Amino acid sequence: MPLTKTSQKFNASINAFTIGTGDKAVTMGGENVLPFYTFDAPIENAPKIGAEISDLGMDKNVPGIRDYYAGAEDFTELARRASAIPGVDFIAFALDAADPNGEDRSVEECVEECKQVAEGTDLPIVIIGSKGIEKNETLFDKVADALSGKNVLLMSAREENYKTIAASAGLAYSQKIGAESAVDINLAKQLNVIISQMGVKPQSIAMNVGAASAGYGFEYVVSTMERVKMAALQQNDNMLQMPIVTPVADEVWNVKEAVVSEEDIPEWGPQEERGIQMEVVTASACLASGSNAVILRHPASIAAVSKMIRELI
Amino acid sequence: MVGLFDRAFKGSDEMYALAEKALAEALATHDESTPAVFPNTAYYAACIYEYTGIKVMTLGDLKSAMEPIRAMMTRNYRTHDVFTSGIATAMAAEVIELCKYLDTDTPYNGEYHGHMNDAEVRELGVPLVTRDIPGFVVIIGPAPSEEEAEALIKGYQSRGIFVFLIGGIIDQAKNRKLSMGFPVRIVPVGPDIWCASHIISLVMRAAMIFGAIGPNQYDEMNKYTFERIFAFVNAFDPVDDLTIACGACAIALGFPVITNDTKDMWRVPKTLIIQEDTKDWIETSLEARDIKIKVTNIDIPVSYSSAFEGEIIRRPDMQVEIDGSRKDCFELCITKEAHEVEDHKIEVIGPDFDEIPVGSKMCAAIIAEVAGKSMQSDFESVFERKFHTFVNCMEGIMHTGQRDLIRIRVSKNAYEAGFRIRHIGEVLYAKLKNEYAAVIDKCQVKIYTSTDELHDLRKMANEIYDKRDERLAGLTDENVDQFYTCILCQSFSPSHVCIVTPERLGLCGAVSWLDAKATNELDANGPSQVVTKERVIDENVGSWEDVNEAVAKYSRGALERVTLYSIMEDPMTSCGCFECICGIEPFSNGVIIVNREHTGMTPLGMTFSEMASMTGGGVQTPGFMGHGKHFIASKKFMKAEGGVARIVWMPKALKETVRDRLNATAMELYGIENFCDMIGDEESCGNGDPEELVNFLSETGHPALAMDPMM
Repeated sequence: MPLTKTSQKFNASINAFTIGTGDKAVTMGGENVLPFYTFDAPIENAPKIGAEISDLGMDKNVPGIRDYYAGAEDFTELARRASAIPGVDFIAFALDAADPNGEDRSVEECVEECKQVAEGTDLPIVIIGSKGIEKNETLFDKVADALSGKNVLLMSAREENYKTIAASAGLAYSQKIGAESAVDINLAKQLNVIISQMGVKPQSIAMNVGAASAGYGFEYVVSTMERVKMAALQQNDNMLQMPIVTPVADEVWNVKEAVVSEEDIPEWGPQEERGIQMEVVTASACLASGSNAVILRHPASIAAVSKMIRELI
Repeated sequence: MVGLFDRAFKGSDEMYALAEKALAEALATHDESTPAVFPNTAYYAACIYEYTGIKVMTLGDLKSAMEPIRAMMTRNYRTHDVFTSGIATAMAAEVIELCKYLDTDTPYNGEYHGHMNDAEVRELGVPLVTRDIPGFVVIIGPAPSEEEAEALIKGYQSRGIFVFLIGGIIDQAKNRKLSMGFPVRIVPVGPDIWCASHIISLVMRAAMIFGAIGPNQYDEMNKYTFERIFAFVNAFDPVDDLTIACGACAIALGFPVITNDTKDMWRVPKTLIIQEDTKDWIETSLEARDIKIKVTNIDIPVSYSSAFEGEIIRRPDMQVEIDGSRKDCFELCITKEAHEVEDHKIEVIGPDFDEIPVGSKMCAAIIAEVAGKSMQSDFESVFERKFHTFVNCMEGIMHTGQRDLIRIRVSKNAYEAGFRIRHIGEVLYAKLKNEYAAVIDKCQVKIYTSTDELHDLRKMANEIYDKRDERLAGLTDENVDQFYTCILCQSFSPSHVCIVTPERLGLCGAVSWLDAKATNELDANGPSQVVTKERVIDENVGSWEDVNEAVAKYSRGALERVTLYSIMEDPMTSCGCFECICGIEPFSNGVIIVNREHTGMTPLGMTFSEMASMTGGGVQTPGFMGHGKHFIASKKFMKAEGGVARIVWMPKALKETVRDRLNATAMELYGIENFCDMIGDEESCGNGDPEELVNFLSETGHPALAMDPMM
């Protein structure tokens, strides 16, 4: 019996979502098929990769990262280096030092750092806030003002602080907003609904539906992303049609596979190798489950994942 | 009302004449190409820009705006004419003000604020949109006295309301040495009524920035300001025609005006309010504009955190104990009319802890009286049940029980830190107002502690409890119009949807129909959504088209049909949180029920956890069903298969928990006495052998044996 191929493209699609401006602006989403299902319908905007840099400086324990950024004295140079990694579509700047329980760097300093980053790159910028949920309100307010006109994505607005971020970054400064929820489709949807009710257009919202490193409860992430995509495409749920941006680096570079040294567990092999593998495995699984963009740290991971995307799309 | 219209029209004409005069004077000394802009704004003269579309850049542009402004001053004596004339008044006022900015950016030399730049609009706009600033007031005056001016301003300030001042009240505030400026949220805008145009300009720009309203969108603008900008006006006697015309603009935008001027004034409900007692202005104004004040800090001398919830106060550490088992004590949440409740009033009637000997017991009645437009008496018990957590989170305070069986212990440390009984009121006030802001507008707390009153009060409380219980008992699936979903557990059980009805609570046992109803009211986008029950398919098995549609929608297509009263035909799914599982027992024609706490074997040859693995996860397994303990005695339990008479086995402990209610149900449905004695348990059916169970059931004459086979 001959095999008749039926196309599984849907009548609904993921929102096309653009960050940055000019030639280097990046558009993600827009597809009306499941991830990488190019045989059902063409996927116009391939998944994107962001290179993560931190205002705490780059990881000194991972030779590949340390050496790549060696001698970068300021954030402008960090951003310049990150932009030069082949396969990078945008820069993700993490304001880790702003954490009130950590270094508690002032909002003014952080704003200054963001401006420096903007000087070092013409790629789109994603700002990843601190661990201080309350602090991110003022932080994003000021950063959104300072980077006005650059069409940046601010990660993330959560249920606790979305109001200020939506009003300020979303409405007053017309930036993009990442809505972050914890691995639960209903919470993800609810957050999109309430941010939209503030007046922010659904087209200005991306989602971070939660992340985990592969092997660390990752099946919940897969299941959530899968259901979000099915709801968006199959059921045309326009409150779940926002593209998904997943910060992978911060998850994987903190698990024991990436952290334990070779001296401590020789049979695991070289530490850096393990970290890269965790990053690549997690990122590719996220992309296969529905992420429209991943944020990575190691140049080798970025090379591997961008090769995968190129070959599949 | 014609009188009021005439006054507004007259004021509007006056303002227009003043604008013409200001413009003529400006043109006498400047030519038409002279730039005419306010400093640091991208929105031109925002009122004129919004309502005429004209981007005023020069004096010539301003001149060209005069005709369109006049065109809005129609005189057909309909409300619409007053509104457009009011808006034209604001635009004319803007003309007057803009003329002051021709030669300088600072015409007021810092004495008054005048124009607000775009940065200030954003700075105020963000907290206004998030409601961190609950609203703003424009006070036009002088007040009758400086003291009164200060009290009013500070009253608003303490409630987080942003204050704009116009006219004589500014000097009064200065004389009282009030600090003013954007950072302290009191802004002296200007000396004359036309300075109000700066505030209207701010409103216009806020709507353009935060609401994406464009120019020439009259209806959209007025809708946005009505729905999203929580402003109102306080105008002191005397209110002249110019002010009335400006007031018409405020009202057109949805901002009520409150005044104490009674001469030639007309009341318009919720819009133009005459309140002669200016001391009540704050309360009247907030109510008129539907502004609820958030409580940001709880005024108590001890720490407050969920970390203290499990804290135990031992007798030797105890200063005093409110003990419902020995004394007359109770706690109660009741609904009152708005006018009966004075927000944040905490009243202690009787002796405080100081007057009670250390280590002894006292009586106390704690009554929270709440009022709100969306408050329903059904929510009282839902809120009251939270008192336990609210009080328990205080450091050094322990709370157990509910209703008239409460026990509250106060530690010596807490007492020494200054904790007194009124602080319980402070906590209840703050928590109720914050957690239930969607339904509670006002709250006051009364605490009675004298023995003589308490006896009668307790009787009153018990009558209320009885009435509530009656209401609960009387709540049936038939006499309500809607059920609710609960999808709280979808994070780990994606396709499960609970349908919560009065007679079938959530299978976790924690979500009753009333809880779901309150959740829906408090969080419109939350886990509990309304399910109508208009299109019945089969009432006996409990199936409705509406229910099926809801299940399909909220399970995202995973499930298409459920019945509410059958375990064989499309039984309701389970997440995994079920208190109990019931499963079909083929030898006896019945079902066994096992609760989570029971670790032993059942006559099905399976333990609770073995049964759980085939019941949970949102799948339908006919013959197996998860449910709450409370559901066991419901008349809807397996109604389709004959009801509770099918229950043949339960663990002893579970049987004891439900005995009285289940016996009553069996009596009512079948006229069987002491039905529970007919049901087997791990003792009467020791080795969990189905034959042994059937023998036991034959001995007790269990009705299930004579019923039709279930399969």
